[in-house]
Amino acid sequence: MPSVKVVNGKQIVVEALDPSQRLKRFLAKPFLQMWYNQDIVLAILRRELRVRFTGSAGGWFWAVVAPLFAIGVYTFAFTTNLQMPFAEAAASKRVAYALFIFSGLIVFNFFSEMAFRSPMLLHEYAHFIKQTIFPSDMLAVISTLRAATYTGIGTIVMLICVVLVTGRLPWTVVLVPLIFVPLSAFLMGLAWFMCAVGAFTRDAGYLMINVVPLFMFMTPVFFSHTSMSFPYDVLIYLNALTAYVEAIRDVVLVGKFPNPLVILWMLATSIFTFYFGYWFFDRYRNVIVDVI
Amino acid sequence: MSSSTSSEVVVRTRHLGKAYQLYARRGDWLKQVMFGWYKTYFKPFWVLRDIDLDVYRGDSIGILGRNGCGKSTLLQVICGMTLPSNGELRVTGRVAPVLALGATFDAELSGRENIMIGGAVMGLKRSEVLRKFDSIAEFAGIGDYMEQPVKHYSMGMRTRLAFAICAHVEAEILVVDEALAVGDAAFQRKCLDWIDSFRRNGTLLFVSHSPAEVRRLCNRAIWIEDGRIRSQGEPSVVIRAYHRALAMEKDDIHRFSVSE
Repeated sequence: MPSVKVVNGKQIVVEALDPSQRLKRFLAKPFLQMWYNQDIVLAILRRELRVRFTGSAGGWFWAVVAPLFAIGVYTFAFTTNLQMPFAEAAASKRVAYALFIFSGLIVFNFFSEMAFRSPMLLHEYAHFIKQTIFPSDMLAVISTLRAATYTGIGTIVMLICVVLVTGRLPWTVVLVPLIFVPLSAFLMGLAWFMCAVGAFTRDAGYLMINVVPLFMFMTPVFFSHTSMSFPYDVLIYLNALTAYVEAIRDVVLVGKFPNPLVILWMLATSIFTFYFGYWFFDRYRNVIVDVI
Repeated sequence: MSSSTSSEVVVRTRHLGKAYQLYARRGDWLKQVMFGWYKTYFKPFWVLRDIDLDVYRGDSIGILGRNGCGKSTLLQVICGMTLPSNGELRVTGRVAPVLALGATFDAELSGRENIMIGGAVMGLKRSEVLRKFDSIAEFAGIGDYMEQPVKHYSMGMRTRLAFAICAHVEAEILVVDEALAVGDAAFQRKCLDWIDSFRRNGTLLFVSHSPAEVRRLCNRAIWIEDGRIRSQGEPSVVIRAYHRALAMEKDDIHRFSVSE
């Protein structure tokens, strides 16, 4: 039987825990919450996907054709401008460059969709949070799963394109899902942090509108870190997305195993961001209900 | 309600208080978040103070009070949506809040899809919602509208659908906030009948402006004024006192404006 005890505005946990138990509980908490709330997560996710795919006239068009169109425009812009390194390349090179952009955009679009939406996420669901007993921490999970679904569709389209263009698919593509797991965890942590901040101020949303386009050029979407000169080709890894872009390219386009250091960096940033984001959200969730 | 469990306290509050943080300027909350350990940047606005309440299993309690006296905040605190600022609160059992009927409805989706989401939000498993679906639809009684988007519903139809979901949650403590104001007399009677039968095994907390409903449904009434319990006890006694006070206040305002 569920029992809530609150004394002086603080929820009382009855059992006393030693530090290692507390750490264990902290590490397990996001996953336990997801498990416990799986029905609500799936119900809302199903609703959001249905609105996206059947609520609009375009439906699948926006998920499949629109990204292809964007890639066509980017490829055209970067390869027909005579100042650019790819301009004089043969047609086959241009197609290769299009795939190169495609792989970068898949990661970046995942990030930008989350970044644009997260600050408004709690406002969007304010009536759920204020008027029902609602696990508000699950909203970031739902929006990550939603964005991951589009990313999954994009990845399938990309793999089809790779097969059509090169006629083969390297065996390493089986690693793609393994790269998306830490990427999702990283973005979920980011979403927890940003939706908590966004609940307090709308500035977070405006900031994202200005910052995300800049990030597009601070992430190796249109270029590779190998083409950069010394300090910058390392510094660009400070943007955690770089690791994912490079790993996806290695796995899908080159067909080799990603650099172990890159994988280590990927795991470190994603685990840290995931838990930091959840800790931050959990800390302020009770205040958020009153300010939203 | 069996007499052996009737003495068990399911909701217990001691010196319960709730203050909202009021900021003079929009940027002050940020200072509060960053430097809150050092200085306080908000004025506390107390909506609830010193609420001492014991609700026993099988009780049904009517809550009376003017608009803005803190009734809804009390219900929100008991449901666990917002934490109290001080005092002690203990809630035992599954709470079903019927605070704003249809708050979770998405206007673009059909009634059927909204039942799936509304049920999940109320804590039902998907399989449970699917099993109870026909019963919910029958209770709502909106017929073929079930497959239409909710935006084409009338206010009364929304209320019907929302209450039908709430009626199938199988909660132990039901918290109802003026939810039945919309809806025609027949449906209101259906809801009241349902609440009546719920009361046999469950506990009810009920905010209403209708004395008849409180008299019919409740064994105890609580009158809240300015965030404090002003009086509690036998429904008919509390209702009479409350109405007398309301009449006096109206009189007071009237006299005040005349003397000006």
